[in-house]
Formats: sequence, structure tokens, C-alpha cells
Amino acid sequence: MKAYQADIAKFDPNDTQIFGVSVDSVPANREFAKQNGLTFPLLSDFKRTVVKDYGIFNEEGGYGNRATFVIDKDGVIQHIKEGNEAIDPTSAEDACNILTHKKASQ
Amino acid sequence: MIKNALSLIFVLAAASIAAAQPTPTQTPAPAKTAPQAPHTNLKVGQAAPDFTLRATDGKTYKLSDFKSKKSVVLAFYVLAFTGG
Repeated sequence: MKAYQADIAKFDPNDTQIFGVSVDSVPANREFAKQNGLTFPLLSDFKRTVVKDYGIFNEEGGYGNRATFVIDKDGVIQHIKEGNEAIDPTSAEDACNILTHKKASQ
Repeated sequence: MIKNALSLIFVLAAASIAAAQPTPTQTPAPAKTAPQAPHTNLKVGQAAPDFTLRATDGKTYKLSDFKSKKSVVLAFYVLAFTGG
């Protein structure tokens, strides 16, 4: 339990940037952020280029599927979760926990 | 008598053919989580594709700007289709 607490202390929010990403417009995302009290920026992939680059574009629905990517400082993907296992963007804490656990396991 | 024996053989043969057919219960039930979700072809250890996108805070963010500075968490979500 002490070790867990120490790991949390090691995690520096200034060290990690969290983004929500959707294919919705900036105004729609602003409303979503307001409704859910989100403090981190939401990116608008209106042209659907990023969801395609990340291979999660749903051609049929015209939107990106739910997924979470954790990218380290070298620009390398360290963690991928898709579908229901992915982080709910209304809970940035989960993303922080992933990084905390990553640090703990290193 | 021979006729009866033949018809018995026929019935047995028909029964064994029927038994060999896969029953509907043997086929796996389709997952309730509908449409087939596309899976990313990216893998852990690969370089993350760069992007430049506008954000809710009015800024434009470029992934490569965070290189050697911060880790980045991208939480892709479906807004319009989940009702928030």
C-alpha cells in the first residue's frame, strides 16, 4: 500500500498530456466538456484523418471507435485499449492510473 | 420381409445422415456487442502517427510537439452516438 502511494507521488500531471479525441466539431466538443466538467482539451478530428491513421475509423458509421493510446516521450505507443476496455474520456483519472501502473512495473 | 429389411436400412441411413448434420445450437451465437468494430493495426512499440488538430481550448495541438517533453494519452471517444 505504501508502494502504491509512492507511485502516485511519482506521477506528475505536468509530465503527461491527456487529450480526448472525437470526429465531432469543436463547438460540440466544448459542450461535451462543459457538461462533463472536463478540464483537459478535446481534439476535433473533423476530417477523420486521425481516426483513419490510428485504424479505428468505422466506415459504416462515419466515426471513430472508442480506443485509448498511451504514447511515451519518444512518440512510441506504450499502451492500446479498444472498445469497452478503452478509457471513458469523462474519467481522465483512469489514464493517469495507466501511466502510474506503467511506471510501477518498470 | 426383404422389403421390410430394406425400409429399415433406409430409415437407419436417413437417421444417421440427420445425426451427422450440425445442429443450430452448435454454431456460436453472434456477439451481442454489434457492429463489427474495426481494430487498429497499430501495435505497442510502434511510432504513433503524428497529427495536428484543433482543440476545445482554442489551441491547435501537434503530437510531435510533445516529443521529449510529455507522455500523451489519446482517449478516442464517440460523442454523437453515445448520447454523451
